[in-house]
Amino acid sequence: MSDPRPPTRPGGARSDRRILADFSLPSEPGNERAAMDRVGEAVRELDLEARVLKRLKTAVAEATMNAMEHGNDYRPEAPVVIRVLASPEDLSVLITDGGGDPVPAPGAEAPDLEAKLEGLQTPRGWGLFLIRNMVDEMNVTTDRSHHTVELVVRLKGGRDASETA
Amino acid sequence: MPARQLEAAVRREGGTSIIELRGEIDGLAEEAMNAAYAEAEEGDPQVILLNFAEVDYINSTGIALIVGLLAKARAARRRMLACGLSDHYVEIFDITRLSDFMNVFDDEASALEEAATA
Repeated sequence: MSDPRPPTRPGGARSDRRILADFSLPSEPGNERAAMDRVGEAVRELDLEARVLKRLKTAVAEATMNAMEHGNDYRPEAPVVIRVLASPEDLSVLITDGGGDPVPAPGAEAPDLEAKLEGLQTPRGWGLFLIRNMVDEMNVTTDRSHHTVELVVRLKGGRDASETA
Repeated sequence: MPARQLEAAVRREGGTSIIELRGEIDGLAEEAMNAAYAEAEEGDPQVILLNFAEVDYINSTGIALIVGLLAKARAARRRMLACGLSDHYVEIFDITRLSDFMNVFDDEASALEEAATA
């Protein structure tokens, strides 16, 4: 089983980030639930607002599903690596797969619900949209053999922090 | 936490078919969702109410399944309502705009009251 850890990590050069968790999961249907639960446990010490935690867990589950499906073709021997990093300013969850189909760039457009309801588009295609809307920032990096999606939640001065101030 | 595969039960209140959903709405829920919807359509109801009070997880594939049911309801000129969603999933229904096409109520009683007066 190859380790899909990328040679460089988005945001990894920052020295003020602590590693709260670093684990991998086989690419098997349903493991997105394990991912979100383990990330939830890892960030418990940050005492996130319940609403922020639920949003983060939804984003983690969706990004992990994408990694297992599109990055690793649901091959159980191909792991998805998840790292949780925290600084005083933000929380980052890095989800890395072994590369496969290109990860779509995070765009701004919402899926066209009317077209889906009229049968003009597939009902699917909500994953990236949900991820983008559940966290403050989403970054995608790709090298020759890995895709990494970084989910960022601002702990100070971000959207969620300002809403609760 | 082990996954709770979706269970769906159908009952009727006046001209409304109620689909009670229990468990998780993800890719494994497709068969149960579609079977429940087909049963709910029997008797040609004007309104179909999805009760999410016992649903603890909905992912993007589950959202797609709900969109599919809503599309069927609209094609048959039935109203579809929703109730019992947690605050988190109410937000997701708002973000996805599902709540623009499917009125969302706190509980079943409120939804049935609306269904009876519309």
